[in-house]
Parts: sequence; C-alpha cells; structure tokens
Amino acid sequence: MAEYRYIGKYTKRLEANDIVTGKATFLDDFKVPQMIFGKALRSPYPHARITFIDTTEAKKLKGVHAVITHKEMPKGWELGWPVHKKLMDEIVFFAGDLVAIVAADTVEIAEEAVDLIKVEYEELPAIFDAAVALAEGAPQIYERFKNNLVDPGVPHFQPDGPHWQVMYGDVEKGFAEAAFVAEDLVEFNKMPAPLAPEPPGAIVRWEGGPDYTIWATSQSPYILKLFNSPRIPGSNLRVKTFNVGGSYGNKQTLSVTVLCAALLAKTTNRPVKFFLTKCEQLMAHEVRLGSKIKAKIGMDKEGVVCAVEGDWMVDTGALADSVQGQVGVGLGEAQLVMAKCRNWNLDSHIAVTNKCPAGIVRGYGGQELNSCLALLMARTMRAGGFDPIECYKKNYVSPGDRYIWRDGRWWQSRVPTKFPEAMQKAADKFGWKDKWKGWGVPTSVNGSKARGIGAAVIGNADIGEDNTEAYVRLISDIKGKGSTVVVQCDITESGMGQRSNVAKMVAEVLNVPIEKVKVTEPDSMNNPTNFGLCGSRGTITSGKACSLAAADAKKKVFELGALHFGVSEEQLEMKDFMVYVRDNPEKKIPIKKLGPKDLNITGYGRHIEQFDIPSCMIFIVEVEVDIDTGFTKIIKITGGTDIGQIIDSRAVLMQLQGGIGSACVDTALFEECIYDPNTGRPLTTNLIDYKWRPFNEFPLYEAVIMESQVDSFMFKALGIGEISGAAGASAVMMAISNAIGVEVAEYPATPAVVLKALKKA
Amino acid sequence: MEKQYVTLKVNGKEYEFPVGTRIGEIPDSETLSQTLRNRLELTGSKESCGEGACGCCTVIMDGDAVTSCMLLTVECEGKDIITIEGLADPITGELDPIQQAFIDYYSFQCGYCTPGIIMASKALLDKNPHPTQEELAEALSGNYCRCISHYTVMEALNSIAGNKEA
Repeated sequence: MAEYRYIGKYTKRLEANDIVTGKATFLDDFKVPQMIFGKALRSPYPHARITFIDTTEAKKLKGVHAVITHKEMPKGWELGWPVHKKLMDEIVFFAGDLVAIVAADTVEIAEEAVDLIKVEYEELPAIFDAAVALAEGAPQIYERFKNNLVDPGVPHFQPDGPHWQVMYGDVEKGFAEAAFVAEDLVEFNKMPAPLAPEPPGAIVRWEGGPDYTIWATSQSPYILKLFNSPRIPGSNLRVKTFNVGGSYGNKQTLSVTVLCAALLAKTTNRPVKFFLTKCEQLMAHEVRLGSKIKAKIGMDKEGVVCAVEGDWMVDTGALADSVQGQVGVGLGEAQLVMAKCRNWNLDSHIAVTNKCPAGIVRGYGGQELNSCLALLMARTMRAGGFDPIECYKKNYVSPGDRYIWRDGRWWQSRVPTKFPEAMQKAADKFGWKDKWKGWGVPTSVNGSKARGIGAAVIGNADIGEDNTEAYVRLISDIKGKGSTVVVQCDITESGMGQRSNVAKMVAEVLNVPIEKVKVTEPDSMNNPTNFGLCGSRGTITSGKACSLAAADAKKKVFELGALHFGVSEEQLEMKDFMVYVRDNPEKKIPIKKLGPKDLNITGYGRHIEQFDIPSCMIFIVEVEVDIDTGFTKIIKITGGTDIGQIIDSRAVLMQLQGGIGSACVDTALFEECIYDPNTGRPLTTNLIDYKWRPFNEFPLYEAVIMESQVDSFMFKALGIGEISGAAGASAVMMAISNAIGVEVAEYPATPAVVLKALKKA
Repeated sequence: MEKQYVTLKVNGKEYEFPVGTRIGEIPDSETLSQTLRNRLELTGSKESCGEGACGCCTVIMDGDAVTSCMLLTVECEGKDIITIEGLADPITGELDPIQQAFIDYYSFQCGYCTPGIIMASKALLDKNPHPTQEELAEALSGNYCRCISHYTVMEALNSIAGNKEA
C-alpha cells in the first residue's frame, strides 16, 4: 500500500466549522430579493375527478399573486418517464396530488388562499396494489399506461433499448439439477420513506425567455437539469444547490416541486420559493418502490444457486419517473448475489397505482428486490442445512463472472476483490461461529427473550455509473510564493463528505496542503458535467475525474519546470507549490513563477461510465425477540466490506453506519407507510406517526473494512454507501426467524407479525 | 390601545419586537423558531417537522433545551435564549468544546440536525458535566438524525463527559 499524506486518514470536512456553528447555508436559510411563497392545495382523495373548482375568493385575498389550477395549466409542464401525467389535471391520482398552487407575499397568506379555494370531487375507483393494478379488468389509471403497465426502458439509462428482464440459460434444466427449491410469493411492499430531515424545496427565478435560475434542495444540479429541462417547455435551466439536509437518493429531480415553483415564477414574474412541509414530504414526495415477486430459486447440493425464476411486480405509486432504471439495477444486483447461477428467467412488470409516488431511494431497486429474494434464498439454504456465510461466499460475484447491468448490456466483473474474505472477517468479528446454532435454532434463550442471528449480502455495480468531468486549476496567490488549487467539479454535499474527499485526492496528487484546495460551489453552469453523489458513484467517478485533472495540471507544471531547468520532466518533483529537481534540492522554483504571469495552470480529467466493478456488503445482525410480546430489539450489527482503499477513515465508517437509516434496517421492524384502507389516505404523515429509531435505541455497530487495493482508479477505492444497509432488513428477518424457531417473512416484523407467526395472535 | 412589545434576550443581546398583525409586527401565531430564523436571521437552528418531534430547531431557553417551533414568541417575554450562533466566542471565534469535539470526532454528516443536537447536548452538559452514556442518549432521544451520525455523536459527547469508550 502506498504511503499517503491525506488518503486513508481522517481529515476535517471542508464544511465542518460552518456546520457546527450554524453558519452552513441550506436552501431554507437563503433568500432572493422580491421572493414570494408558493403553497399547494392537495387532493384528499386517492383518485377523483374535479367537477367544480372556484378560486375567486382566493384570488381576492390581499397579498395573493397567482392561483393556478388545472384549468389554467399551459401546454407542456408534464411529468414522468415516459410522460404520462400533467403537473395538474382535471383528475387527481393520489391523496396528496396537486389541485391548485398559489403564490403570495407570505407563507401564511398563501396557506389562507389555499383554504379559500372551493372544490368538488367525484371519486373514482382507486388501486393500491401492483398485482391488482396489473390484473385483467382493473380500472386504467392513466391513458398512457394500458393495464396500468409502465413501458419498460428509459432511454438515458438504457441506450440500446428497453431492458426489463434477465433471461438466459435453461431454467428448466437448472431446476432439474437443483437439490433444494423454494417457491413463493414474497413481498417488500410497505413503501417506507427515506425521510431526509430537510424537506424538498426550490426557489425559482424566471430570468426571461427560456432562462430560469433554480436553487434547490437537490443532491445533484445536473440530474435536476437533465430531468426537468424537457418538462419546462423551451427552458434553459441553471441549477444551484447549497448544503443539502439529507437526501439518500431521494431529493434529485424534485420535478413536482421545481415545476410548481417555476410555473408560479413565470406567471408572477417574481422569484418563488416552494418548500414542502414534513406532512407534504411524507404524503406527496417519493417513497421506496413497492416490491412483490412470485419467484422460485433452485440451489444445488453444494449450496450454489442454479436456477432463478420470477415475475417482479413493482409498484411505482402514482408516478413513474425513471423507475425503469431502478428495476434494471434490481435485476443486476440479484445476479451479483447469485452470480454462479447460469439459468435465469426473471421478468418484471412496473405498475402505477393511486399511492404516493415512489422514486429513487438509497438501495435503488436492488434493496427492494433483494429484500424479497433473500427470503427465498434463505429457504433453500435452510432446506440444505447450509451455513449462510459459507453460502454467500460461494455464490457472490467473483472476477470473470458475467451479468447484465441496468444499461441492458453484459458486463464481466474484472476486479480481483477479497469479498469472500471480507464476509468471513465480518463473521469472525461478529462471533458467528459461536452464535450460529443452525436454522430455526435460537442463539440463546433467557426466559421470554430469545436471541437469534442472521446475515445477508448485497452488491452494486453502479459505483462507476455516468460520465463525469472536472477541472483542477492552480491559481497563483496574490501575495507570497504559493498558489491555491480550485477543483471545478459539480458536487453537492448531502452528508457523504465527498467534496472533502476529492479535495484530499487533489491535495495528494499535487502534494499540497489540504487547506489550499477549494472546491467550487455546486452549480450546473459554472462546473463541468457531474451527476453528483448517487449510486455510490462519487468515489470512483468524481475521484477519478478530479485526480486525473490534478495529474494533468501536475504534468503541465512539470513541462514548464523541465523547460525552466533544462532537465527532463521525470527528474522533477513538487511539494507545497514548489518544483524541485530531484537530488538537487537547491534547484527549485515556485509554480507561481512558471508560465505566463497571472494565468492559471489548468488540468482536465474525466471518467467514462463502466459497470465492471461491483461492490459488496455483508450485514450480520443479532436480535432479541420477546416471545410474549413479539417485540424485537436489535442487539448488534456487524457490517463488512472490501472498500479497496479507505479515502477517509471516519467518512467511510459513517457511510456504513448510515445503512441503519433512510428506510433500511428498520423496514424489517417498524418502518412503513400506512394507508387508511377505507379512504386511501396515508396515515403516517408526520414524525410521530411515522416511526424512526431514536438516539437511545441504537444497537452496537461494528465495521469490518478490508482494503485490498482495487484497480478502480488512481486511489484504488470503491464506493459503498448505496448498499451499506440494503441487506439489513432481510438479515433481520433471518435473525428473528432463528430466534423464534418459526420463519417470519412479512415486512415489517412488528410485534403483531411475530405473534402471528408464533400462533399467539 | 397601548402598543404591545415582546422582549427577548438572544445570545446576550436584548431585542424588543412590536406585537401585532401589521407589516413588521410579530403576530400572536409566530413561533420562536420563525422569529429567530426570519427576523434575527439566526438560521443555524433548522425547522424540519414543525411539531416538536425532530429537535432540529432546538435552542436553549433559561438553561433548558426547547424546540423553538413549539413556542409562541409572544409567550417568551423576558426569556434568555441561546442559539447555535451563540456558542462560539463572538470575538475570537473559539469554538465551544462540544462544537470542537463534533469536529474532532466527525459527528455529523449532512449537518441539518447538528445544531439541534449540539444545543440539546449543551443544555444537558451545562447542568450535568459528567452524564453517563445512557443519560446522554436519553437527552438526545428527541433529536432526529437520518444520516446516522449517532455513533460518532456519542463518541464526541462521551469524550466531553469523561466517559470511557462504551
């Protein structure tokens, strides 16, 4: 392993002082002159036709600038991929859908105006389940989607055409060879919410003509621009972001919020702030995909999966917005976990329903499918009496294994990793060997308290997704001999510390103090293209583009230095903005003195999308179930991975611990969005009714992080955050099942579910 | 009618606000969080849930940690309030030991809930400089964090409280 100045160590985050002093700016802390405020009237019905709407009183209210309903909607301003929904329509498609939007001098006036709008509805039949939506004769929700089936394929992510199924080999033959087969309808269908502390919001200023400036709580200015440009007719968007108060993949396109603000801004010719409340975030922003699959998994007598068959039904709620990309990743991740299987017949069907829209959430389709398939894989392991750790090690993707990724193309894992070793190390740290007593056998029983353990594995090859570019500029300081490095790369910080990580990498390449490296503010115009921090792509993609840009700048410095000293470039070294001739330290010159006066030295670097490096995460858990009350408590979690090379020791630890949050592990215990079955309205629309894990209920967490120096880019690292908790829920289900001796397969395993499994309720 | 005022002491400075419904006046319905964020531009504490469940808006009032979204400003007459902006030394910028520990242990990720967590911790540690790990976790049980910085927050606070690593 190389000796590094910064890489691998903990370095104080660029934003650290601002965050602990309250100086850090988030969207809600920012104002634009002349800004007014937007609010929405939302549907109380899951599916209804607006038969009457009167905005006269609302418009009369002093301080109101605009009231817009479906009647005033201009052409365009439509949502979905493919387009299937107007921003506002005569029909409302879920409880929380937009009925009218208002802009006013203050939030309070806007809210009062909303209350003054008179509406009458005619209720329409509503659907709350993908299987029902896809069944013959179900009422059709959108004109665009016959049988409520969303078209497969999403052009940006699948350039060769639609990809929605994994079909190869001979499944019949595979099952014939299988020694153990599990077949069932399994589901992870409660569509929980990732629930960032900062709600979705945007401020939009129409600059005239096609130009809009957008400040948003998005984790990616470029993704927001990419998705919303076609949706705002004839627009040229400039997108800026601040610190983002949590996202977990969930605040990216922000289409509904951005379109509301933009339409109000264009109508009023005033900057409009449209910021959701927590209730609106929970009822109308995006939740996890609903996932249900009738599947069959076959395993041979050695414990290797040899056939997989199934039809995955995906519930995307009332909006399909690139869910196809998530389905592609879900199918891909299934192949990584069962990589030795050569017989696949895995189909998918995406349905629209009358529920809150589902969208991107950490785990990105993979978590939703894996939480289902892991239950069946567990049954085959149980039938064969295999130790799950041994089984995962045998089945996980290794170099040379092939899989179809979300772009619809075949990829071959090319990176020699030590994932099986990482799995074993994590199991050893956890104490698996002593605690594992066999399937359906508790680790220990003390009165009514039974303990059990479980483990699950997941992987992700999205960590090299999407093209990215960066500039690194060496700017001469006005005073002194030094310079300052400016990294131009479009990275919004929503908590991962990746802005600091690229600064570390650039400081490492140029061998300069980290304090002298600055990263430009996220802005889609001032920066070259970057998709931001999604899919755990930040480390490899931004890291590669920035480190190559720094290397390019360094090469230019050495070219100038070689000319200056009359030596070859290979004879030069640099440190702290000085160039030295090797073995001749009196021969030195500040970078500032090389090249034309006052001008920058600029390097360029880029990353081109690749899907041939999968990551891997094992999640091992011990639970304690009270068999009298059915209440389950997590005692301990061990997370294990091979990260290639740690960039920041504290940041990577928190990426792993973060897997407990954002609707991951606790979707096995208590997290779910609950709808009133009679009205179709969500009931969990505040932070009291939606359950979350408080500070005083955190279990012990241990991390096992191997560093096997992966051939990914200059710094040999991988990304991991996307999947750090993605296998958590299924691991908990296994642990509960072992603790109580009865299989529990219903998410979340609330006390009622556990007591039902024990036949006590 | 005699003009009404409400006086708050915030971070050591006294502010007198007119109460009423005209432009510039504080209406009875205005929360302390709104007054601090919108009128005094003390935007460090955040408003997230608006109903006292998440703790992002936590400030210290007369020594107690309070959720400022649940208090009406007109009911805070004469109260002594400290916000996250009031912790560091105003002249030297020297950080409060809790703030410094949060940097040393990297006890935040997105940072949205951090000011509330720091203020809730500060209120506890001012009253009880050596709380146990359980007392610390209990004091923060009303602070929502979704990035999961709980472990590193506890490391920072245990270091201040003098607790050995749990």
